[in-house]
Amino acid sequence: MNISMNELKAALRRCFEASDYFVGNYEDAANMVLWLEKHGLNGLSEFKLALPYIGEDKNKPLSNVIYEDSTSATIDAHHRSALNCIAAAVDLAHAKALESGIATVTVHNCHNRIFILKALTDRGRSGISAAAYWQNGSDSVTEHTAAIRSGQRYPSYSEGVTNLKSNENDKQALTIICSSRVDLTSSLQNSKSHFISPKQVESNKEHTVEHGIEIDADVWEEINKIGLGVLVENTERSRRDAGGN
Amino acid sequence: MTTNAAIQSSLWGENSLPLRPASQVMKLERLGAYHQSRLSFMRTLVRRIFRERWKIEPALFNLDHEGYGTVVYEVQAPHGLFSFVLFSDYLSPDERNDRVIATKWDLTMALVEGKVDQEYIEKLRENVPKQEAGRVDARVFVLSRANRSARNFDYVVNQLAAGEQPDVAKIVEVGYLYRTTAVYGSGKLGMADWEKVREKHKDFARPFAGEMFVCLMLRNFSLLQVEHIARHKSPDTFNPMKPEIKRYFGIGNSTGLGMAPYLVNHPLLINQWIEMRELALARVRVLGSINQQVRETISQLIDRSAQHTLETLTEDEWQTNNNKAVIDDMASLKSRIECGFDRWDELLEYSEQHCSLQGQEMLVSCMLEIYPELVDELEDFHSAEEFLDLDPLMPAEQLKDIIENSYDWALAIDFDAEGARETYWYRSEEKMEPRLGSVADIEGKKKQMALGVGYAVRKCYNQLIEYIAQNPEDTTARFMVAHPKLRGIVRRIQGMNRCVYGDIQANLLDREVLPMHLLRAKLAFFGVSKFDPRSRLWVRNTMFQGAPLLEEIGQTFNDDWFMPLAPKQ
Repeated sequence: MNISMNELKAALRRCFEASDYFVGNYEDAANMVLWLEKHGLNGLSEFKLALPYIGEDKNKPLSNVIYEDSTSATIDAHHRSALNCIAAAVDLAHAKALESGIATVTVHNCHNRIFILKALTDRGRSGISAAAYWQNGSDSVTEHTAAIRSGQRYPSYSEGVTNLKSNENDKQALTIICSSRVDLTSSLQNSKSHFISPKQVESNKEHTVEHGIEIDADVWEEINKIGLGVLVENTERSRRDAGGN
Repeated sequence: MTTNAAIQSSLWGENSLPLRPASQVMKLERLGAYHQSRLSFMRTLVRRIFRERWKIEPALFNLDHEGYGTVVYEVQAPHGLFSFVLFSDYLSPDERNDRVIATKWDLTMALVEGKVDQEYIEKLRENVPKQEAGRVDARVFVLSRANRSARNFDYVVNQLAAGEQPDVAKIVEVGYLYRTTAVYGSGKLGMADWEKVREKHKDFARPFAGEMFVCLMLRNFSLLQVEHIARHKSPDTFNPMKPEIKRYFGIGNSTGLGMAPYLVNHPLLINQWIEMRELALARVRVLGSINQQVRETISQLIDRSAQHTLETLTEDEWQTNNNKAVIDDMASLKSRIECGFDRWDELLEYSEQHCSLQGQEMLVSCMLEIYPELVDELEDFHSAEEFLDLDPLMPAEQLKDIIENSYDWALAIDFDAEGARETYWYRSEEKMEPRLGSVADIEGKKKQMALGVGYAVRKCYNQLIEYIAQNPEDTTARFMVAHPKLRGIVRRIQGMNRCVYGDIQANLLDREVLPMHLLRAKLAFFGVSKFDPRSRLWVRNTMFQGAPLLEEIGQTFNDDWFMPLAPKQ
């Protein structure tokens, strides 16, 4: 079915709010999913993978900084989804980059890391260049990178299948680099990789703005079903709370 | 023609104009005392249509003698062609309901990009009359519905059929033939997102321009339909309505709580609207020359405003008293004007000392009316990029200073006082309608919407103080890693600090909060008049009363329909 971006955002917000995401985080999370989908980077497919787990994050410890110096930091996300922890990590990299010229933040134990693209893109708008790299998968390992130049509106994104074996010590890690001095670009050395340019990302956006978003009816239903958690049962008394006669 | 840079230098820095302070302007009671002005969205839309001489003509007029059927207007505007599609269906009196939760209406409408063919009209016919229960595609960018005025519609038809004119006294009581109960845009029900409208449809690329246009077209259709029905009812005796009486018919509107969260959830946009209104006032105060003709004009506008208010009828005691105060205020201002004045500040200061808030804001609207050359160009600056970005490098200490300076009003509220947190806002499962509950309902409280900005600021401030005591040198980014739950409010505090006016200064959780002020503030920006509160939670009002008629497009246009008066009969 076809929905608008605003409908998707509103439904996702309710969904994350009902899943006990904090005020501020549920807007961020909704925007991260929407951003990927709007720009043709399969936000809804990734969100479908995350859906079974989004209610579990509330029981996990909050992210914490386990190492920090003036140009770097390491954050343990305690197996949270990037949807509700990655924005703060990018903020920290951004702040350190402004202070030191360039900074690296590594996040451990973080899932759905592709959602970082919205947060990275926001840095471009703020005059910061940013890049990220991560590996994913257990059977076959894929690798991913995204980057945006300072002042730009659209990032590049690459993904590819590697010959690497899965590593039991893999920490679901993600590395973020931010710089206020250097324009960062990234692409995979991997010959089996697929590169999506900023221009293609922009073109994908234009298509979505014109035509809206295609969504599987079952995913749409599931998002709305979870979102019901923020709605209050309708009663006669509740109707009076709207001021009607 | 002004520019963003010129506006910014008027708002900020050494060369800025003397704006009224946020502590005065952003009080909820004052926002709730706003009136229409020449910057209101209805005024700017009509100016655009008439100055650009839009061509608006029926492409399909398929109504039976009772006025039921389908009508399509084609709208040729400078940047594109649009279709206004309207379905008129029979509705029994017992099905007529103004609440959002209604499921059937007399009229349903859609504003669509491009021409529509029969196949597309059929597709719309299957969905538009269902409103929330239907789906449309991204060619549609506004959907609306309306119900007949039980008091006026049949009466006007009968009068015209009998060759008589409607009694103006009756229109003073109810100034419309139809009342809209919802006007949807911005991607609802599968429609085009605002981003598409803004980028692709320049003719409607100002906030709520499409929505206002649909209401204007509804008004036009309502006048056409009553004449159509009357003509068929009695062809021999029928007489068309006089243009001056037609102009006095607007469109009714019922607005409930749904509008209130919008103001809290779009703070940058609301700030932008307020900045433009206040900038217009500052321009008038500093640059508006005053001569005898100007003195006479302001005097006439004050008279007109008093008469308009006199012709505003409401059963609501609170509003009646407000209106009486405005009429007294206008008399008082008139006396002051007759004593002479050389600076607008003299009148403003007088109003602040002697008039009600509604009277003070009426004076502001009248002042803006006199100087189109200083005011009108600001209408192109009502949009805002709604990014509440976090500034991660900001020292936590600076964040604390911002709260103490910009949110002193929130820190001054005792949230532990009885009733200070007794109201909460929630969404009902019935069409997700926003509602207002009291703490007595536990379930609703758990699911309340995050609209208590003042209280959130207070909680943030308390935690920030503790954090700074331990980490005095830290940045906001570091504070956010330690307190991720505060991300939303910190981003808002920093974002709104980049604005002149910032957040609405009120505790929306207070037992005594009057949502009516929020509704009225937004409606005044739209340009409505004749506020008629039906409870503390919803209000009836009139749109486009006094506006020129569509058949007058192309004729001389003087943009003078501020505070319209009943025509002499």
